[in-house]
Parts: sequence; structure tokens; C-alpha cells
Amino acid sequence: MWGAAQFSVPRPFFTNLMFGPTPLRDTALVAGFELREMLRSRKALAILALYLLAAAFTSYIFVSVLENIQAAVRNPAALITGPTGGGRGGQPGRPRGPVFAPSPPDKPSQGILTQRGSPFNRVIFSQVADPDARDFLEKQPPIILFFALVSFNFFPLLIMIASAETVAQEHQSRGVRFVAMRTGRAEFALGKALGQAALMAAVTLLAGLLCLTIAAWKLEDFTWGAGLRSLLVFWPRVAVFGLPFLGIAMLCSMNTGSAMMARAAGLIGLALLFVAHQLVEKYADSAFGPVLGVLDFLAPYSHRDDLWLPSWNDAGPQMLMLAGLGLGYVCVGLLFYRRRDL
Amino acid sequence: MSAGPDSDLALAFRAVRKSYGRIRALQGLDLAVPRGSVFGLVGPNGAGKTTTFSICCGWLRADEGDVDVLGGGPFDAARHRGRVTALPQDSALGRDMTVREQLVYLGRLQGIGAREIRGEVERILELVDLKDRARDRVRTLSHGMLRRVGIGQAFLGDPELVLLDEATNGLDPRQAHGIREFIRAQRGTRTIIVSSHNLHEIETVCDHVALIDRGRVVMAGPISTVTGRDAEVRITLADGPVPLAETRAALTGDTVEWDAPARTLTLRFQEKPGRAAEDVTGEALRALLAAGARISSVARGQSLERRYLEMPAGEPPPLPPGV
Repeated sequence: MWGAAQFSVPRPFFTNLMFGPTPLRDTALVAGFELREMLRSRKALAILALYLLAAAFTSYIFVSVLENIQAAVRNPAALITGPTGGGRGGQPGRPRGPVFAPSPPDKPSQGILTQRGSPFNRVIFSQVADPDARDFLEKQPPIILFFALVSFNFFPLLIMIASAETVAQEHQSRGVRFVAMRTGRAEFALGKALGQAALMAAVTLLAGLLCLTIAAWKLEDFTWGAGLRSLLVFWPRVAVFGLPFLGIAMLCSMNTGSAMMARAAGLIGLALLFVAHQLVEKYADSAFGPVLGVLDFLAPYSHRDDLWLPSWNDAGPQMLMLAGLGLGYVCVGLLFYRRRDL
Repeated sequence: MSAGPDSDLALAFRAVRKSYGRIRALQGLDLAVPRGSVFGLVGPNGAGKTTTFSICCGWLRADEGDVDVLGGGPFDAARHRGRVTALPQDSALGRDMTVREQLVYLGRLQGIGAREIRGEVERILELVDLKDRARDRVRTLSHGMLRRVGIGQAFLGDPELVLLDEATNGLDPRQAHGIREFIRAQRGTRTIIVSSHNLHEIETVCDHVALIDRGRVVMAGPISTVTGRDAEVRITLADGPVPLAETRAALTGDTVEWDAPARTLTLRFQEKPGRAAEDVTGEALRALLAAGARISSVARGQSLERRYLEMPAGEPPPLPPGV
């Protein structure tokens, strides 16, 4: 008989695991403290506020462009009878063709903006070759695609600037000595990483919500439901994409002596990763292709394209891979950190 | 000098060496700290005191030698969590958290339960007289208050070994006195190692001391032995007769030296059962007074400061026998 007792977890063990002095509990304690400390730190808040401000500003510009396009699409005649003359692709004395096709009655203008051939389309889809992905993306509100595109490019930079100093700052102030007597270095570093990951995830979510708010304010046919649904698809992907970069930031932070050095090392690392990825893409077909491919596998950028795929079955494994890469970089940092003088 | 689990040593260093590049901070340091003692660590700047502390706390790793903390080998957070605490010299607590939050965080990390931590933090806040600042952010505290928070966190829970690096540095005289009294009251209940440049403080608070210079222990032992309180009496005479021969005759077997410029008689003796320092002092005074000498002052041993100043500036000498 399958009695409840046969499946019951021994309570003291479980309680001890979560609330006793265990690595798991210590990591959670450090993470919670890190998160609260960052939320009260003026410097950290200033950096995060700047990021949000930049997100708001760029999305405002983007939405303003959308707004103008919407207005133009509603009055195609203005486009068809636009200026005449020898522009590129036009013939002297004849009016140019419409820049954008009018919106079908059952489709909001955001769909038009992602049709192939439009400038916006080219920007977004330059990274995506899969037709399923293109169809999937066409259904997403452009503001979220813009949010994802910008985040995939600038979120790593924010991580290097804001998170790379977290452990190094503790070394510089020697505040780490208060903690190092009370818990292991692995718990300390992992807790710090976890706290930073939570903070960064919250910041990207805020940035996404900020983009949606601006879109709701400026665009007439914006619907919150579609926007939030799309944000819930892309926000986790953006957050997970940041994990390997956070891992690299932690690696630098654990093994440098000052906050400035850690940040510099993180930014140099980021630049090197980017350049390496570009080189690997360029020389993928050369004799060194397989070797470069293995190296590229360790770089977060090589996993980015799959995050645009519609299905979680496609994007999920890449997200797991990115999370694993992040943990791997932290572990590499720990290999050195556990032996260094504090 | 091994400090096994049942050993009477709280801390044992054996031939410990540590270098920072070309700078040799510890050059074969030997140290034995008895359990339950209040142990003073004294030495000039750069002598190796902070390095000794740091190795003991696991912040630094020794290049060579054996370290044994509470009979459990070198410091390990898993083994020594909550049993060993410290006040580091120049370490800063998180500036944006409140005093209470800091103490709760550190206390929880060292294993104090969620139910007990509130009461424990209140006890510590009262101890360091910071109850009224508990809700203030650390960044708003003065240097002295920060020091008190640092001392408070070192006494969270029930640690067996507490290391205090310049504990009263920056405290006003009343607070410093309070901390000294608290430390002295801990004698016998836990081991406390105090590093300080304030030799009077070490002498009044500690019962054992080690003088360190250039990464080696120059002198170590009970304070009474190091200062000679149990082996030396100095009697200063006012103008008048100096009955040196009568005194030597009364103290057969002991050493009697006369420092004419200082007009001081120094008596060196071995304490024996039934013949303590008080007995020797009495014998000497009786002989002196009988011969008509006028006594200015009587002192047992030399101050720790005097001993410290007598430390040779060159290569540290070998340890004297029994010290």
C-alpha cells in the first residue's frame, strides 16, 4: 500500500536544508542581502536608472517613428502622391510607389511594420533566417521585438558595468572578511551571483514594462494584453541570455582586487567575446572551423539566435545551455577564488 | 605544540611563514594561545600581527608551517563557523544597510536561528551601546560607532575564539573602558586574542602576551612572567643611606643590583612555594628600613611598555627559557 509515510520527506532534513546552516541557506541569505544592498546603493541605483532611462528614451524614439508610420499608413494617398523626382528607384517626373502597404482591416498596424522588406523588418530579421521564426515574430508587437533586440545587445554591457564589481568591491573594502568567517567562499560568490541575477532580471522586466507603457501612451492601436503576453515570452529569454555574461562578470569580480579593475576586466572580456564571435562567424568555413566552433560554443553570442525561435522546445535548450554557461563561468572563477588571499 | 580537540590550546602556530612577494611577513612564527585566556599580541608596525590574525581567520593562507585553530586544523568556515569570530582591522561593513540588518545577516550566516537572532542582536546592541542607532544606515555612523558595531558582531552567538585587532582604536575613553571591562570579564569563558599598540591596555586586560617583531615571537608567556611581576621587585630610595651589603645579606641566593643614577635597587628572585614576591619584598624592606634607608617607591616587575622598549631593534633573540 502506498502510504503517505512512504513518500514523506524527513522533515528535519528538509527543514535543515532550507533553514539550517547549509550551503543552500547561506547562498540564499547572501543573495537576499546582496539584493537589498543593491537596491539601497546610490551608485547601483544610478546605473540602473540610467539603463531604464536609456530604454525609455530609445523606445520613445522608436514608438515615435511607429506613430508617424501609423499616421502615414492611415493616409496612403499621402505616400503615393508623395514627392516626385529622381530619388533612388524612382523615375524623374513620376510619383514613387508606396513605402508601406496599407494595413489590412483585421490586422493592426504593428503587423505591417514587421512585413518583410520594411526597414524595421530588415533590422529585426537580419538575425533570423528561420521562416517559422519570422512568422512568429510577425505576430509580436514591434515594441517588444525592439525591446528584445536592444536588450540582447546592451544588457551584457549593463551587467559588466553594474555587476562586475560586486565581489571585488567587498575585497577592496575588506568587508568580505566579516562574511568569510561565517560561510564558504562558494556560497558567498554564488549568493552574490544569484542576487545580481535577480536584480538584473527585475531591471530587464522593468525596462520591458517601461517600453510597453510608452507604446501604450503613444500608439493608438496598442493592446496591453498582446504586449504583456509577448513580454512574458521574451523577458525570460533576455534574462537568461544575461546569465553567461553575469558568470563572466563574477569570474572577473572574484579574481581582481578592486571594483574598477573588475569592471575593466569585465568590459574587456565582453569586447573580446564579441570580436571572437565575429571572427568565428567569418572563418567558420576555414580549416579552423571546427576548433573555432567549439570556442564559439562557449561564447554566449553563439546561442543568441535561437532565442528568437517561437517554440520553447527550440529556445528552451538554448536557455538551459546559457544558464549552464553562466554557472560554468562562476565555477571557473571559484577555482581560483577559493585559493586566493582575501 | 599540536592543539588537538582536547588540547588546552585554542590556537597553535608552528614555524609559520608567509610572504607577500619579496616581503617576508612571518618568518617561522611559533605561537601557543591557551584556551580561556585573554591573549595580547604586541609588536611594532609591520611585525606580522595582522598577518597572524588573517591566517588564523582563514583570510590568508600560510606558505609553510602548521596552523591549528581550536584543535581542528587551519581555519575552515564549515568547521569553525560561529566558533571563531574576529574584528578585522580596516574592514568596512555594508554602508547602505542598517546596523540591525547587518548584525542579523552576520548572525544568521554564522548559524544563529531565525527565532533566536532578534534577541541576540538586541543583546549585542546593548553591549556596544548602539540601541538608539540600530535603525540607522551604517554609512551614517561615526568611526567610533563603526568600531563598536565591529566589536558587536565579533561577540554574536557564543564564539570560542575571538580575535580583536585594535579593538578600542577610535573609541572615546568611557567606551574604551567599557569594552576593556567586557573583554576582561570574558576571561575563562572564551579565548580572546587582542592586538593593540596600547600596551597599558594589553597589560590591564590580558593574562598572556606575545611580543612579535619581524615575523617572529620574541617573547611570550603569562603577563606576570613577561613583565617580571613574579620575579623582580624594584625599590627606589630617597636621599640617604644605601645599605646594599645588608640587603644582599638578607636576600641570600637572590640577585640585588643597584642603579646609582636612578637610586633604584632591583631584586631578582625565583618564586618558590612559601616564598612569593610579597615575602621577598618584605625581607628586603625590613633590611633596608633597619639600616636607615628611606623608601621612595616599591614596584613589582617592569611595565609591558618597558619590556617592549627593551626589545632589541636588530635580529630577534632566541626565546628565553620558560618564556
